[in-house]
Amino acid sequence: MKRREFLKGAAWAGAASFAGKGLGMAQGESNAQATNHGEQVPHRPLGKTGAQVSCLGVGGYHLGSTKDQNEANRIVSEALDAGINFFDNAWDYHDGHSEAVLGIALQGKRDKAFVMTKVCTHGRDKNVAMRQLEESLRRLKTDHLDLWQVHEVIYYNDPDLIFAANGVAEALVQAKQQGKVRFVGFTGHKDPAIHLRMLQHGFPFDTVQMPLNCLDATFRSFQQQVLPEAQRRGVAVLGMKSLGGSGEMVHWGAVTAHDALRYAMSLPVATTISGMDAPWVLHQNLEVARGFQPMKEAEMAALRDRVSFWAADGRFELFKTTKKYDGAVGREQHHFPSAKELPV
Amino acid sequence: MQQGSILQRSFGRHADVKISALGFGGHHLGDAPDEKTAVALVQGALDGGITFFDNCWEYHRGKTEIWMGSGLKGRRDEAFLMTKLCPHGRDGSLALRMLEQSLNRLQTDHLDLWQIHGVSFENDPDLFIRPGGAAEAMRKAQEQGKVRFLGFTGHKDPRIHLKMLNIGFPWDSVQMPLNPFDSNFIYSFERQVLPELSKRGIAALGMKPICGHGDPVEKGVLSAEEALRYAMSLPGVTTTISGVDKPEVLQQNLKIAQNFQPMPEPELQALRDRVKTEAADGRFELYKLSLKFDNPEARLAHDFPLDMQQAEVKEMMKATENDGHPFADLHSGGQSQ
Repeated sequence: MKRREFLKGAAWAGAASFAGKGLGMAQGESNAQATNHGEQVPHRPLGKTGAQVSCLGVGGYHLGSTKDQNEANRIVSEALDAGINFFDNAWDYHDGHSEAVLGIALQGKRDKAFVMTKVCTHGRDKNVAMRQLEESLRRLKTDHLDLWQVHEVIYYNDPDLIFAANGVAEALVQAKQQGKVRFVGFTGHKDPAIHLRMLQHGFPFDTVQMPLNCLDATFRSFQQQVLPEAQRRGVAVLGMKSLGGSGEMVHWGAVTAHDALRYAMSLPVATTISGMDAPWVLHQNLEVARGFQPMKEAEMAALRDRVSFWAADGRFELFKTTKKYDGAVGREQHHFPSAKELPV
Repeated sequence: MQQGSILQRSFGRHADVKISALGFGGHHLGDAPDEKTAVALVQGALDGGITFFDNCWEYHRGKTEIWMGSGLKGRRDEAFLMTKLCPHGRDGSLALRMLEQSLNRLQTDHLDLWQIHGVSFENDPDLFIRPGGAAEAMRKAQEQGKVRFLGFTGHKDPRIHLKMLNIGFPWDSVQMPLNPFDSNFIYSFERQVLPELSKRGIAALGMKPICGHGDPVEKGVLSAEEALRYAMSLPGVTTTISGVDKPEVLQQNLKIAQNFQPMPEPELQALRDRVKTEAADGRFELYKLSLKFDNPEARLAHDFPLDMQQAEVKEMMKATENDGHPFADLHSGGQSQ
């Protein structure tokens, strides 16, 4: 996959940085209003695993979009200093560049971080998965992952492919047995029904990642349909796309970036993964995350009601309603035409 | 940008509320090359003594509100912030949604002034005041403390302005084109509307001092300084809103405003006389005459056909493509998305 092509798909990894700019300020400025400076980002239990993760996570896709390695180093080290330990990534982000960048940024700091990456078999067998694991470990400069997730479960036949004999589910088990990964999970941005089918297989997933934001709450809702089921099964939930992936909800003024992030972080999730491709985006997120106090249920309900008007046709959650956010590797493996060729 | 102060005038009958005699126009802010420049322009304007900031829900599909919000962050209290709502005859509930969007984009919990945008068509006043219309929404927003003052704007026809004035709504401000061409034209905001505002204690907000895009300045009919000073000097005018899209323009405007001495009446008259011939066919005031200057959002709301070649219509169509990356030009400094 060409890096350029991949970039066009942009912003899958979480809250897009430019969206946050609606909340923000000119680059490099300090924030006159932040009052929580110096407080740490709180940690939460990761489901039943016994591990603790920060309630804000650094998205890996955007780490690969930083202007250079120094910028990425700065984001990672400032995040660690602020108490963030959760780092997201995926084997196919920027053709491996995102993993390489994180690997370098975490040198000498690996033990302070909870490192997740994702495997991108999209229907291919266990051997492909194990090969990708080795590549991920090498790029991340580590001998083990804290969490390994099946990436982009977004097509209706994905659960069948994943749990087929010799499929990626077997790789998850094997990698865990070999001590190369501590915990396993899956992720997807498309449809709660697909997530539910995955969970119904009864596989011992430690985590499940899904889009969670104040518009999702009333439209093809992961929050309503999947979150309670994951809780019931004791599977830790990782939220993403707190601003809807592209941040259009912020641009059109449906909600502020600040409120949108607070809402997502206030749900019963272990962490909320947000893309940060420049230090100012991290700083902006830290305004919310340092010493984070969840919104009260009444406040969340009021926000849901206020934005439900904008949620109803899914225009601000295009990852659910179009193919624009579907990665090229997955589409290729499913023999679907590339998203570019579709009238979406 | 030069630090300084600008003459402050009372906001109509609200003698305790002062605004700068030069206002910062929001539409042109969207023509700045990037957000960083826009933020610097807003901050430079504050530093230079401008306190009146203009904007509108539909300018550049929201971009100018977002950029102004970033520029005012941490300095909101220094500004008298206005934006406009764009119901164009549609329901009050829509108007309140627009208010919420504007507040979110501008990163504030209240506006100093909220004005009906672009009153242009004969039936606009009736649609505004009807039960369930925008008039009710404006009153409600004011009661809730989300907006302090209420006004309306338009560039089309003084007779429509007068109809709005006589509709029985407690207007705090009215915005209109004011320039020497207008003064000469067969129907004139300066002659027909401005005196009425003074009589009623309604703040008069002038716009288009160089006729919108500066045609007469480019063609050498008069200088930008003459035009801006003319508009700022008219008896009864509270502020003159001038669009700023680059630092040079801000510099020039600040210089004029910081050194501002009102033109005496003979000088105003001399300028009117000088442009009399050019003013007569309205060629520099096409906003009064041509459908090209009609706002597409307003034409849609009225079920009037759109001109698909119009820049604003193209902008609107592009915005509805919804490719997941709104306002690509929001990116400054070569971000990768």
